[in-house]
Amino acid sequence: MLCKNLLHSLNQWLMEIQEIDRETALSGLLDQIPERIKKISEKRDSFLTDTVLLGEIPSPTYGEDERIRAVVDRFRENGLSAPNIDEFGNASAHLPGTEGQSSILVMAHADSVFSREVRHEIQVGSGHMSGPGIADNALGLAAMIALPRLLDDLGIRLRDDLILVANSRSLGRANLEGASGFLETMSLPARAGICVEGSTLGRLSYSGLGTLRGEITLQVPSDYDWKRFGASGAISHVTGLINQIREIPIPKEPKTQLVFGGLRCGSSFNTSPKQGTLRFEITSEDDDIIGQMEDQLNEICEQFSAETGTLVSMEVVAKRQNCSIPFTHPLVKTTRSIMQEAGITPKVDPSTGDLNALILSGLPAVTLGLTTVENLREINETVQLDPLYAGMTQLVSLIQAIDQGICDS
Amino acid sequence: MNKINENWLERNTFHHADFWDLIKLVEEKENKGLKISLCIPTLNEEKTIGKEVLILRSELMERYPLIDEFAVIDSGSKDKTLEVAKNYGADVYLASDILPEVGDKRGKGENLWKAIHQLKGDIICYVDADISNIHPRFVYGLVAPLIHRDEISYVKAFYDRPLNYSSGLRPSGGGRVTEILIRPLFSLFFPELSHIIQPLSGEYAARREVLEKIPFPIGYGVETSHLLDLYAMHGLETFAQTDLDRRVHRNQTTNALGKMSFGILQTFFNRLHAQGKLDRMPDLETFYRRFEVEEGKYHQLVQEVIEEERPPMIDIEGYRNRMASS
Repeated sequence: MLCKNLLHSLNQWLMEIQEIDRETALSGLLDQIPERIKKISEKRDSFLTDTVLLGEIPSPTYGEDERIRAVVDRFRENGLSAPNIDEFGNASAHLPGTEGQSSILVMAHADSVFSREVRHEIQVGSGHMSGPGIADNALGLAAMIALPRLLDDLGIRLRDDLILVANSRSLGRANLEGASGFLETMSLPARAGICVEGSTLGRLSYSGLGTLRGEITLQVPSDYDWKRFGASGAISHVTGLINQIREIPIPKEPKTQLVFGGLRCGSSFNTSPKQGTLRFEITSEDDDIIGQMEDQLNEICEQFSAETGTLVSMEVVAKRQNCSIPFTHPLVKTTRSIMQEAGITPKVDPSTGDLNALILSGLPAVTLGLTTVENLREINETVQLDPLYAGMTQLVSLIQAIDQGICDS
Repeated sequence: MNKINENWLERNTFHHADFWDLIKLVEEKENKGLKISLCIPTLNEEKTIGKEVLILRSELMERYPLIDEFAVIDSGSKDKTLEVAKNYGADVYLASDILPEVGDKRGKGENLWKAIHQLKGDIICYVDADISNIHPRFVYGLVAPLIHRDEISYVKAFYDRPLNYSSGLRPSGGGRVTEILIRPLFSLFFPELSHIIQPLSGEYAARREVLEKIPFPIGYGVETSHLLDLYAMHGLETFAQTDLDRRVHRNQTTNALGKMSFGILQTFFNRLHAQGKLDRMPDLETFYRRFEVEEGKYHQLVQEVIEEERPPMIDIEGYRNRMASS
């Protein structure tokens, strides 16, 4: 009994020492932040250039090849180990650590919501840059690529290997295919992961929100009886369908949301369209609620189809489970401390992006945003440069904190 | 087309991708002890100058030290051109402050000319400020032939200006002024110079030793005069040209092109006059020379265009007889 108590006390003592070590290491790291913001602002040209050069290569989801090749070229030029494009279309490379016992994964998605037909031209002003997809996610991609040179410029040698990944097939229908594929085949054990997004400074995501994205297609069949009571074209029917969907009760707790994100129907002034497509997304903190709402949507589609003589089908294009690491996890706590020291106000924002894939794979991970952004996902998407240097500093400092074991649970 | 010229097109026409290995290019530049200056002439270019300075400086001075000096020479912009250029690290000069004793003339050629005095490089590369798809190739594609080949002293850019993608065979040429003014003039008076695919392109690199020996029209005629004067001094062998792919820039109005053509014609006829070609007109060439590109290879098309003429109808006997009988 005495021996057990002694062991318990020894263990507690060791944990306290470990905690003190961690706090001392973190404090040392936080002290360097103001100086780092200045240094990073002086070294900005390289990552601003990559933001422009990569941002001007169109990279719609499933069409990222050219941008991914440019990323691999940069990995090579920066002297990284094992630059590679995998079977999922992701580009990855390693910066070997001094010990290499473990690794830190930094990921930025390479795809954009803008199609190839959009003119991908980035404009550069004194204090801002703008153009389609610059914030989401040319800037995140360029920041990830810049890390080895920035670490070197700041005199930081990591013990862990740094694994850099530009992941393809993240957005929309792709359902995180690239990130999930990479994690499935990743050989090195990772200590933690960071997803990098251009938007928005202060973003702190440590949970992935349960999500279902779907597309409902309504077709007026060729043998449709236009004389029947209530007969109409696809637009009226889709409107009726939307009204029925809006009758589905949406709970406030657990937090749940249904968003209609797109509607395509018709092409002229005077012809009733025969087909309409409705895109929607359900997000909820409870996976069961998502499941129940999916069932309800299927029932509505079926009933609507039978009652109106139209053909209604629903396709689920992406589905993600809820996942999270605790708010008190050292990775989250450390990120908050770094943000505060860098003058960034943390804003907790559950992710529906690549973070889900990382956390579901068992990796403690967060998503960070790099700067303030205007007109997100518009042609004139604009990123401000002044806040960017604090955003880059938080990223570099968090990597160093992970490397020093400050973020281990 | 004679054999020597055909061979010139093959030997002295490059594609920027030929010079992708920038480490090798920088090594050769250093081995030869060459210094390279980049000059961007500006007048109210705040929308595009930031991107040009950022990308070219970051890639070609910091990442690959190909350029030793980066200058923006301005004609007195009223917008934020100078502030933006300085913010991204360019050396900024007002043309009027350079060689003040010779006075100040307003025009792009003035800035290019004064750059020779202000900049220190053995090679000066000129790039226009209005390129919205700027890329390092716009510079390394032009200076590389000068680094690799000592006999070349002047390298011009040409671009992809697709007019017809569908057939796989497309005419390749310059803008409207090139096609309807310069190429016909060159075909008539200086057939060899018609090998230059885009004689009016605003991007070129040249050795100091040739730039310092030629006059510079300050306005629209500067590119034409460079070609005519250097051709007269050194022949076609001194030139090379590099395909820089696509260039996106502002489109000019037809009125502006008319003004440009008027300036170019002044320069052109001044040269003809100086070379005695105007007073003692030679027999005019009847071969019109233009280009087409097939599977990435450029070929010159030579077409005989003889403008035969009929006499006044009144000189025709049959006509006179018909008129007399009616």
